[in-house]
Amino acid sequence: MRLGVRTWAMLPWILATCFTAADAHHSTTEFDYSKQVTIKGSVKEIQWTNPHSYIQLMVNGEGGEAIQWSVEIGSPSLNINMGWRKNSVKVGDVVTINLAPARNGKPYGTLRVLTLADGQKLEGVAARVGARPGGAAPAPPSPAVPAASKEP
Amino acid sequence: MRRLRVGLLLCVAAFVAGASGTTGRIDAAAAGPEALLGVWVPDAAPRGLLTSKGKTPPLTAAASKLYTERRQRLSKGDASFDPTTWCAGPGMPRILTMPYPLEIRADASRIAFIHGWYRWFRIVDLGAGTADPPLPLTMGFPVGHWEASGLVIRTTGLSDTTVLDASGLPHSEQLTVTERLRVLPDGRLEDRITIDDPENYTQSWDTVLTFHRDASARVTDDVCPDRMARGEPAEQVAVARTKATRTTPISSRPAAVAANSVGPAPRLAGVWEPKTFGIMVPNAPLSSSGQDFVGRNAAAMQAGKIMQTAWVSCRPGAVSTMTMPREKIVVLESAGETTILFEMPRMVRRIRMNASHPQTLEPGYVGDSVGHWEGNTLVVDTLGFNGYAELDARGQPTSPRLHTVERFTPSADGGSIDIETTIEDPEYYTQPFTIQRSWKKSPARHPFEYDCMENPRQEDFENAYYVRERYRPLCMRVEGEGLAPSKMVCRRPQ
Repeated sequence: MRLGVRTWAMLPWILATCFTAADAHHSTTEFDYSKQVTIKGSVKEIQWTNPHSYIQLMVNGEGGEAIQWSVEIGSPSLNINMGWRKNSVKVGDVVTINLAPARNGKPYGTLRVLTLADGQKLEGVAARVGARPGGAAPAPPSPAVPAASKEP
Repeated sequence: MRRLRVGLLLCVAAFVAGASGTTGRIDAAAAGPEALLGVWVPDAAPRGLLTSKGKTPPLTAAASKLYTERRQRLSKGDASFDPTTWCAGPGMPRILTMPYPLEIRADASRIAFIHGWYRWFRIVDLGAGTADPPLPLTMGFPVGHWEASGLVIRTTGLSDTTVLDASGLPHSEQLTVTERLRVLPDGRLEDRITIDDPENYTQSWDTVLTFHRDASARVTDDVCPDRMARGEPAEQVAVARTKATRTTPISSRPAAVAANSVGPAPRLAGVWEPKTFGIMVPNAPLSSSGQDFVGRNAAAMQAGKIMQTAWVSCRPGAVSTMTMPREKIVVLESAGETTILFEMPRMVRRIRMNASHPQTLEPGYVGDSVGHWEGNTLVVDTLGFNGYAELDARGQPTSPRLHTVERFTPSADGGSIDIETTIEDPEYYTQPFTIQRSWKKSPARHPFEYDCMENPRQEDFENAYYVRERYRPLCMRVEGEGLAPSKMVCRRPQ
């Protein structure tokens, strides 16, 4: 998905929100932003909930076993501002998800980009968080938000 | 539609004129807004709703089966179908069935219902048209208007994760809750509630809840996780009774109502959003104990721990709203009080105008705020914090010695507010320091919603570092492996 003018205009806000959300509920150390994992599966559940929203995705493992992934996609207010709506993704949809995985190695991560079967893409906050050495999050551009390196 | 608009204009005009004492009441609608203002206490807090005729609501077959299952679970002590059991949002009309007072405040554009349970509030927009909810929310999107009989509120966009009452009456996202509020001749408040949910009920049905005034009742800063941490239930089981007169005629409303009357022209009223978010307070003059505190946080983070603050544990203090502006706020102004309702973190701050702090203060998360105008600047002085709040993303601490002075200055065009906050806390900072934040007028009709306790996931609390031990979560959702379902688990405090 090409980012429109409106999206780019929102970038400082989105980044600021991302980092504030990180402060609010978990730090950026929870995920390894230096890594990218892509999974494909069927949507089992969408939790439009605070403090974070999740998609529960059923993915076939290498041995054919079903693995349930939890994918944090943002928070309701943030996702709405990024263009998500209630029915953007539905239970049973087969989707491809690119995510930054959790450091604990569990089937858990934070969404970068979700691709629907028709090719439409939806972004999560991690789409705006690039990789830096060690997986640290980058400094947001807004002067109101200090560099993440200042975060503990 | 034209008649409705004219009616609304007349109501607003009557409200404003009535508040200034320049006209008498000529009909029920004109008397409506002021008659509703103030603190109300439920006459009863029904665990199970019945129709206004005392019947079981007309459930569909599928809903009846679900309801029966829930009743059976309830008989075994399992009320986990009700999110309030882990301090998450109650929904509508569930919150009206809880044994807590509610306060109604208003200005010409909106009415605020400030509920006594865990900082919840509803903002009823009095604009024309209906809401267009982008996502269902716990408390939905209420839109109201005045009719001759009183206030009518239509709420849509309600999340189906809640229940209508504590007995587990189900609802879907198709639910529309229509409330008709009026003050009865005996002074009580009547809320006649109509439930429309074709997915769960064979026909619409209504139920009636009533409330009385109680001069001693107050809506205080209720923090559900703290009650659970003390081993108390998430919801008290009965309405706290007082010896005050159960019913009070309108003509002799208690003094608490006077504090809600409209005062001078509002200067801050409206919906606002931050001009910029801020999550850091740089260059705070940390004392050695403050440096130690922040150093421990930093060391834990560098060791890969996830830092958990008061905000994380859904107990944010008012000072965090001063330093870390997030999402929308709604400001209501009256002669006796300026009220600020925060979307995120959800919080109600009450600023008593032209008042003094009491001699003794009960420490709390929001503190005790008093305010006065100096020219075009509202000066707010706050004491009585409990020390459970951090200033920023580094977890810079506060103590009960915290003292804040905020200076709210609206711009000449009314489009923004600059807030200068001076923070003094000799426990952790060597000298007072000042930060600047700005808000701008929001086009939104409602704030969005932040239900912090809604879905605390175990992943967020693994490998955690708790800035204060109090911040450990009491409940969390545990995701099963493979096809196992997720479940919410609450633990007893140790």
